[in-house]
Amino acid sequence: MLEQFVVYLFAALVVTGGLMAALTRQILYAIIGMGLSLLGLSGIFLYLGSPFVAAMQLLIYIGGITVAIVFAMMLSLSMSLRPPQSQPQKFALAIVGAGIFFAAMATVVHGTQFPLLQEQAPEAAWAVSQLGHLLLNAYNLVFETLSLVLLLAIIGAILIARKEKAVQ
Amino acid sequence: MDSLTLVLLATGAPLICFLICILALRPHPGAARVVALGGMGLSLFGSVTLLLQGPVEPLRFLWFSSGEIQLQFGFLLDGLSLLFAVAVALITFCVMLYSIGYMAGDPGTTRYFAMLSFFAWAMLSFVYAVDLLQVFIFWELVGLASFFLIGFWYEKPEANAAAKKAFLMTRVGDVGLLIGLLLILPLSNSFDLPHLLDPQAGLVRLALPATLTLITLLIFVGIVGKSAQFPLHTWLPDAMEGPTPVSALLHSATMVAAGVFLMARLHPLFMASEQTRTVVLCVATFTAILASTMAMVERDIKKVLAYSSISQLGFMLIGLGAGSLFAGVFHLVTHAVFKALLFLCSGVYIHHLATNDMEEIGRRGGRQLRLTTAALVIGSAALAGVPPLAGFFSKEEIFAQLGHGGLGPFAIGAFAAAFLTAYYTGRMVFLVVAPAQIEETSHDHHGDPQPWVMLAPIVLLALGALTLGFFGSSIAATLGVQLVHHSLVSMLPAIGVVALGGALAWFDFGRKSAPRRGFITRLAALETLFIRQWYVDDFYRTIVVRINTALAKTMHFIETRGLDAGFDRLGFNTLGLGALATRLQSGWVQIYTGGAVVLLGLVVAYFGLR
Amino acid sequence: MTLHGFILLGLALFSLGLVAVLSRRNLIAVLIGVELMMNAASLNFMAFNRYVVKDPAIGQVFVLIIIGLAAAEVAIFLSIILRLYRLRRDIDVEHLTGLKG
Repeated sequence: MLEQFVVYLFAALVVTGGLMAALTRQILYAIIGMGLSLLGLSGIFLYLGSPFVAAMQLLIYIGGITVAIVFAMMLSLSMSLRPPQSQPQKFALAIVGAGIFFAAMATVVHGTQFPLLQEQAPEAAWAVSQLGHLLLNAYNLVFETLSLVLLLAIIGAILIARKEKAVQ
Repeated sequence: MDSLTLVLLATGAPLICFLICILALRPHPGAARVVALGGMGLSLFGSVTLLLQGPVEPLRFLWFSSGEIQLQFGFLLDGLSLLFAVAVALITFCVMLYSIGYMAGDPGTTRYFAMLSFFAWAMLSFVYAVDLLQVFIFWELVGLASFFLIGFWYEKPEANAAAKKAFLMTRVGDVGLLIGLLLILPLSNSFDLPHLLDPQAGLVRLALPATLTLITLLIFVGIVGKSAQFPLHTWLPDAMEGPTPVSALLHSATMVAAGVFLMARLHPLFMASEQTRTVVLCVATFTAILASTMAMVERDIKKVLAYSSISQLGFMLIGLGAGSLFAGVFHLVTHAVFKALLFLCSGVYIHHLATNDMEEIGRRGGRQLRLTTAALVIGSAALAGVPPLAGFFSKEEIFAQLGHGGLGPFAIGAFAAAFLTAYYTGRMVFLVVAPAQIEETSHDHHGDPQPWVMLAPIVLLALGALTLGFFGSSIAATLGVQLVHHSLVSMLPAIGVVALGGALAWFDFGRKSAPRRGFITRLAALETLFIRQWYVDDFYRTIVVRINTALAKTMHFIETRGLDAGFDRLGFNTLGLGALATRLQSGWVQIYTGGAVVLLGLVVAYFGLR
Repeated sequence: MTLHGFILLGLALFSLGLVAVLSRRNLIAVLIGVELMMNAASLNFMAFNRYVVKDPAIGQVFVLIIIGLAAAEVAIFLSIILRLYRLRRDIDVEHLTGLKG
């Protein structure tokens, strides 16, 4: 009972955060909305049985990414100070497009019978140790590739954002 | 010499002369005249010899065959073609001789003699033709020669217009002729004339009566065009824009006679169809009267003679339509002689006095050109039908034939036309010979300073007009027809009609105190009708030209606004579509993204819901 | 909540992210929209992981990888924004029309 209530609370948080992120004019409010949404999402991850992933969500997304975005916002302040108004047509068009997408997908999902599990997996399968085991054995390649991607991203970010040399 | 050589000489010599003149003799008009005349002389020799040798078997050469159809060319040497060919060759020779004087000094002399030779070749080949296809080909070529010769003085816009009008009007008739000929082909698989005209096995047996009527009516349409009968007659007066010798040759004696000749040639077929004969008689009688009325108010001497030709051609067709081959052909031959004579005389007046108007000719002293005037009187008497000149005998035959078969209304019409013929002919003579006053000019017209080349043909033709009437029996024998002698009593109506017409002309124009206005001026409405040529040309101009112009405008509209504009619009709209599509490439990534995601969603939905 | 509910929640979050991507003029707001869309995907994975998949570790691995990649992507995105700002003093999406034509 309480469980259900908490889930719905977090779901509402997600949606509210999303609405804030999509609709407010001030960019800072949008960032805060995103943060809220991610917060709610981490709660839902927790409900769905993975505390590790929930923790990672909080750490990386809210702790890392959101802060970085705030940094970038500060560094490009001019637009943040005088936020421009989107034309109503553009906005309406965006709503219509997203609405069509949502409607299409929702119809598909609604009509599909998913093969639900009859019984829960054992507790041991949900443990973090199992996760770590998989990461370093079965999905090792993915893991290593991910670290490579991160390296490249960092190098790329440095390259793109550094100051130009005077003579080139 | 054998027949083949002679006939090739008769038809081929003018052709060779034409080629020589056109190809090599442009800068040598003198040589061109000699060459053309020489060629014509050879042709005359050939045709006269053939006539003297008498009719022979036809000469045929296979041209091509396709399945069962055999088309050939060759020469049909029977009495009719031998006779008419001599007439054509003789008159062409006279006209060429005359032209040496008339066209002296004209810059286009070589072209003139070349085209006359071309005409002679085409006409003689037409006369001697053995196959209807050959007939048709040379019929068209004769029309082409006429076009060239009418528009000879091509700097004159009236001449060009007249040439075009002549060609187009005869073309209208030729459509009928062609369809008629084509209808014959499936019935008999050949166009061979002796075969078609055979009384036992020819077209009269092969075709149903209704089909035969249709064929002969269609051929008659062609004849109406070529021989200038109503309603395709208005080209002939306009054709007087050509030089006078051309008028003498083509538009009185030979080319327009080609239609009559064709009917004479196909006479058995026409006789077999009662309806066609009636149609022919109606059209010919009406034309004879119509043209005579127009001649009697006309002031231009050449145009009077042109209307007279139309009227006399009508007479010939009356004779043929009434059933007598001899009457029609006899009048054809005599008319050729005296009409050419009259044209050549008028040519002398025109050449010497520089005017076509009859009253002007009289005023400037036409009567003082004595030889010419004498010839004019002889020719006019022959035309009017005064005995014992040629025209009287030939017209008499026609009246006699009309008296036979109970063709009452047509006989009355023919008599009326003869009366009018005598009247306008007398009018012409009296206006020239007995004018109100003669103006005194500086140079003396006494004696004839005309060159002999112009006078000799006139003399020759005048002799023919005087004597040809007495050759009736020989002509009939050549045609293979028995001549019937007429009593004097039966000739009286004709003589009476002529006398009446002549007397009225003398009354109006000839006597000392003559008013010199026709009796017709008292009936002003009729006079206007005749002067305006019964409004036929006006009718054509309004109806035909207007319809054509409207049609052309509609076509133009469809072309430029419909088809052309349609294609243009296609091109422009494609460009417009492209411009529209360019707006999709706005460079706004958000639009690209949005489109992609929405499309993706729809695709997934489509597959998901299937 | 049932599986359908979670999926619908994920769809809703995705659509909101889509709206942000399509209609906002600030480049950073577009980034935010992209992040929301990616998170919706991870939610989808986690839901399936819980209700459909036999071995639940796999779904979590996937989500971790998504998070990692999102981090890398944000790094690049932000450096581009900084570079752009330095060049033009302006990060309005509607002014970035170099692909036009």
